[in-house]
Amino acid sequence: MLRCKDVARQADDYLDQRLSWRQRLGVGLHLLICVHCRRYLAQLRLLIAGLRARRAPASDEEVRRVIQRLEEPDRD
Amino acid sequence: MPTRPDWNEAELLKRLQAGDKQAFATLVREYHRKLLAMARAIVGESIADEVVQEAWLSAYKAIGRFEGRSSLKTWLMRIVINEARTRLRHESRLISLDTSPFDDVEPMESRFDETGHWAQAPVTWSADSPEELLTGEQLADCLEHTLAQMPRMQRAALTLRDMEGVELAEICNILTVSESNVRVLLHRARQRVFNLVDHYQETGEC
Repeated sequence: MLRCKDVARQADDYLDQRLSWRQRLGVGLHLLICVHCRRYLAQLRLLIAGLRARRAPASDEEVRRVIQRLEEPDRD
Repeated sequence: MPTRPDWNEAELLKRLQAGDKQAFATLVREYHRKLLAMARAIVGESIADEVVQEAWLSAYKAIGRFEGRSSLKTWLMRIVINEARTRLRHESRLISLDTSPFDDVEPMESRFDETGHWAQAPVTWSADSPEELLTGEQLADCLEHTLAQMPRMQRAALTLRDMEGVELAEICNILTVSESNVRVLLHRARQRVFNLVDHYQETGEC
């Protein structure tokens, strides 16, 4: 039986579906009986999605700065 | 995927090649932060801005000759990577002094007891959606701090993959490490952020 520490180590690969079916089964069985690891997996998934949700286009200020410096006369 | 749902690459390219400045601003708005993340990963924080500005200048000058054989995104990424690597070659003081990112201990090591069970299990987070999880100014500050403290390669892997959605193969190229190494970096970076959020959810503090 896997330990919680092993499941935590394999969690990213589990979410990415990179584990062998045997490994996936091991994790799956552990998750059935371990509320802590279930919570860890679910919240790790949430965290990754939360990080992705922070993606944003550049601000007006950032765009303005880039364009402005493009239009400066050549320094050379 | 571009952040804008109405992105029309063919249309934009036509306008870019006609010298439409507004179209170039659109390009900058869409990709600037991704390119910054890539530059930081290669040359570090202090000159990343300069490198990206040089890359935009190169792109601006070369857009008329761009044949569209790759996507605009790929083309821009190539320009930034080349620019960053050129700078790196010329500025030896920038050469990474990072100790191996793999010497780092597992960030959650201390949360397990000697039998491998949780000694400090995660608390239940309250957030109705992923979008809600990391909003809030205080947590955003905490996150910035955690990112700044992370080994550079871990930060790079996390920002490139989880924030900017860069493909793993491209990250391998940018960081010049194997895919399995990128996965380890990601794993460790995520665990650090997990620890942060878990602590914040429990205590309201960083």
